[in-house]
Amino acid sequence: MSNWAAQYNRSRSTHAPAALLQDEEDDDDPMPPAIEQEPEPEPEPETPLEQLTRHWMNERHAPDILPVQDDLLGKLLDHIRRQSDTIQLLRGDPSTSEEEHIRIMLAQTEVERVKFVVRSYVRTRLFKIESYARYIVANEDVQTRITTAERDYASRHAQLIDRHFHNSVLQSLPESQTALDDTPSFMPSMVTEPDTRRAVFAHALRNTVARTPDGKTIDLAKGSLTLIAFAAVAELITRGDVELV
Amino acid sequence: MSDARQFGELATQLVMESRRSTQTDTLLKYNDSLVRSIIREQRDLEKVAVAHVLASAALPNPPPALMIIQTAIARNKRCLLAYHHHRISFLATLYWSLGASLPPLLSAESTSIRAKLSPHEVDYLRSYHASVMSFRAEFSQELDITASITQPPKDLHVLVHVVRDCGVIQTESGSIDFRMGRRFMVRRSDIEHLIVQGYLEEV
Repeated sequence: MSNWAAQYNRSRSTHAPAALLQDEEDDDDPMPPAIEQEPEPEPEPETPLEQLTRHWMNERHAPDILPVQDDLLGKLLDHIRRQSDTIQLLRGDPSTSEEEHIRIMLAQTEVERVKFVVRSYVRTRLFKIESYARYIVANEDVQTRITTAERDYASRHAQLIDRHFHNSVLQSLPESQTALDDTPSFMPSMVTEPDTRRAVFAHALRNTVARTPDGKTIDLAKGSLTLIAFAAVAELITRGDVELV
Repeated sequence: MSDARQFGELATQLVMESRRSTQTDTLLKYNDSLVRSIIREQRDLEKVAVAHVLASAALPNPPPALMIIQTAIARNKRCLLAYHHHRISFLATLYWSLGASLPPLLSAESTSIRAKLSPHEVDYLRSYHASVMSFRAEFSQELDITASITQPPKDLHVLVHVVRDCGVIQTESGSIDFRMGRRFMVRRSDIEHLIVQGYLEEV
């Protein structure tokens, strides 16, 4: 495949509209990303898709909502749109050769696969937003990490749940029992919060130091894999020093 | 409040239903009568609690009985909410697994799910759907965030077998009339929702 892709990239340069196809071919197999990225010691800049894949994996493994990668997502979606337009153009062009049709198909498949990752990323965030809707609405720190659309969704969802609880249960209870934020002793809080103490597997991309909430520091050597509480590495994940696997 | 019962016994039954539902991965019928009985118990407990408060107004410390009643009230309430929350989470999961569409859930004929829901749950599903749809509208046409995320696409095209008539569908290669029993080679993204909803089957 790599052979083929190289050849393809060379021939492509003669074909102006197909120039957009290049990036897709470079990062050909997006699915098992963590493993793919590891064995490269030279500091090659990540392609947008590799970045997305890393953020996607982080998001899937983190108990809390991570900062949204809005720019990256926008860039990729624009790219997908341009790709699809190019593909449409080439498909409609009768002078497109048989060989090129195969390339078009590969590019299309790749577009579908990138969309899959984007979709999964968005849906993972959506799931967390639903789970922690009330917590997000009350917490401004979290709101800085999500998009406006996600914030709207969170407040809509919190309202939906409240209304359902009210209609099904609370309206029939005595006045003093209708609150949704009681704090009786020996019971968990009624507002579900992400469990940031949950253990995650952190793969260090550079030499770095994790700081646990109780003030201890742990050295993470580059390339090492550590089982550690999420809270200790949350900041490192945002900085890109550590990825979750 | 019947004296033969312990505090919170009914609520335990309710939570057990949620537990059974999780273990068998099915949605049980909404237990309206049990929910009502617990709500009645709550009102009775509240009255008893108020009576205790009034009677002990002159005492330096609240009587221990009051604390027990308050604990029972708090617990019952949490059990009620847990039961309802468990049900709507189940419904949301089902909703997404059906490709984020309401008709399969709410149509009278296809499944018996609707018969198991309380009217409030049907309302909830409708508003939930509306909320998801307006979130979806934030993304461009290119990306349908409600499409399947269980399997990464491996092929562009897929051979499908039509299980139920679903009329004429627009695909990239023109419109196709999907009649029962036929087979078509079509682009996956054009018809994926039909596979999810059980109209087509992958061969």
